[in-house]
Amino acid sequence: MLAKLRQRDYQILIAFIIVAAILAFWRPHVLISGLQRGSLYVLIALPVGIIYGILGILNLAHGEFMMLGAFFAFSLVTLTGIDPLIAMLPAFPAMFVVGIVTYRLTIKHVVRAPLNQFLLTFGLAVMLTEMANLIWTTRPRIVWVPYAASSATIGPITFGTFEFVYVAAAAIVLVGMFLFLTRTRAGLAAMAVGQNPRGAKLVGIDVERTYMMIFSACLAVLGPIGALFLIRHAIFPGVGGPFSLRAVSIVAMAGFGNLPGILVWGIGLGLAEAFVRSFRGWGGWADIIFFGMIILVVFYRSYQRRVR
Amino acid sequence: MLVVKGVDIYYGKLQVLWDLSLQVGKESVGLFGPNGAGKTTLVNAIVGLVKPANGEITFGGRSLLPLETHRIIREGVAVVPQERELFPFMSVLGNLKSGAAYIPGARDKIDERMRFIFDIFPVLKERLGQLAVTLSGGEQRMLAIARSLMAGPKLLILDEPSSGLQPSLVSDLFRRMREIREKEGVSILIAEQNVRQCLRAIDRGYVIENGRVVIEDSAEGLAHSDHVRRSYLGL
Ligand SMILES: Nc1ncnc2c1ncn2[C@@H]1O[C@H](COP(=O)(O)OP(=O)(O)OP(=O)(O)O)[C@@H](O)[C@H]1O
Ligand SMILES: [Mg+2]
Repeated sequence: MLAKLRQRDYQILIAFIIVAAILAFWRPHVLISGLQRGSLYVLIALPVGIIYGILGILNLAHGEFMMLGAFFAFSLVTLTGIDPLIAMLPAFPAMFVVGIVTYRLTIKHVVRAPLNQFLLTFGLAVMLTEMANLIWTTRPRIVWVPYAASSATIGPITFGTFEFVYVAAAAIVLVGMFLFLTRTRAGLAAMAVGQNPRGAKLVGIDVERTYMMIFSACLAVLGPIGALFLIRHAIFPGVGGPFSLRAVSIVAMAGFGNLPGILVWGIGLGLAEAFVRSFRGWGGWADIIFFGMIILVVFYRSYQRRVR
Repeated sequence: MLVVKGVDIYYGKLQVLWDLSLQVGKESVGLFGPNGAGKTTLVNAIVGLVKPANGEITFGGRSLLPLETHRIIREGVAVVPQERELFPFMSVLGNLKSGAAYIPGARDKIDERMRFIFDIFPVLKERLGQLAVTLSGGEQRMLAIARSLMAGPKLLILDEPSSGLQPSLVSDLFRRMREIREKEGVSILIAEQNVRQCLRAIDRGYVIENGRVVIEDSAEGLAHSDHVRRSYLGL
């Protein structure tokens, strides 16, 4: 499932590089903000892709879990006065525990049950949002740290530099997950479970535990990501929704189980959005174009299937 | 030593094994019977994939019934499932390693066991980098057998190991099983349709029909039994 870049992805990658080169001359700030935004999508879509590949569950609540991580960091920052970057550290184990509890109470019972898991993770998304409403209210919250507004100027363009942490974080998570899945015994066990759970049991792998650890680890990374998100964005209970949608869409467009494809599509969609937003007065079209592209890709896929 | 005692197994309301008892000591044991007799069900019960309604299954004196499948495997039971159950998108090498990686004691002997396996199935050596899904049916069967041997088990259970293999490999396979049994002291249980070939590899055997043991005898005894000759050897 971690197969190398597929032929199709190569073509798309090359197309993106050409687009990026054009953008670099024509609208350089689009290239930068698109890369930054796309990295954030990749960060949230990658764990969704891993959970899908291994548990066969499409988690529709991933953005909401990120929201939870962000609020956890927010509470920590306001209560103790620590820097949000430091709050990344406790956010990791905290979200890991959230993952274990969520798995035990809910996910465990719907692994590889297609319809029920949709309903379940959708329900989880709604529940998390409502819960956040009760605890933190709908008021948008921000933390202010001086470095968040840092910017740089190259020639005629000025851009935020803090957002490059999303690019760095995406690179770290991607490489980390790749090394984990291909180099460690636990990672290889997870791959085995994803490909054939029954076969995995028969070589002595604790399948149930693997499911739980993978799900929880994928939620755990949302803790630090939430803290990073908080530094640059206002957060409110509904803030995760659009990210859930985008993450699931990116995973679907990459083709299920294709992790490198998630990188390509995540960045690509970030660029497309930034491009649309760069036309004054047209920003509202960004979402429509995003989901329009998804519909086109899905149509194209089923067309291809029919032709074959 | 594996002891199965008075096992009843149901799928829903349908009973498929009836008060079934069998033993495997330090020996090779055959398990014969027509399609649907319950051979695979018994194998699955031993490794904990289905749980009996009544009866007891012990291995080395310890009950296997409360254990989950992966625990039973880690106790030293390796199985070649009828459906092979390989990891399709892993390489041959990855599949082989997976056979040893999760078994305490087998991990450190991967290279040694690998040499042993290439000796039996030289084809696999040529295909180490190939994805399991792209192997031919027979090659997949070899890989499944090889993967189980990687674990260095105390008890090896093979569910129709010969199906899909070319005739020359089948006789070779059973000769090897005899060898493994003698050299490594592994207990072996083989469920087979190819009774004629299998009789050469085993010490004793059971014939199961409709979920009940109908004959239990030595290999020689089975070869001379009228029922076995008529129904299973086509004589
Ligand atoms: N999951 C299941 N649900 C319901 N019935 C089952 C199930 N698995 C097996 N059976 C039934 O149990 C009986 C025994 O099946 P089993 O697979 O153990 O036979 P077998 O001896 O291995 O046959 P074969 O030689 O064809 O492999 C069959 O009648 C089969 O239809
Ligand atoms: Mg069978």
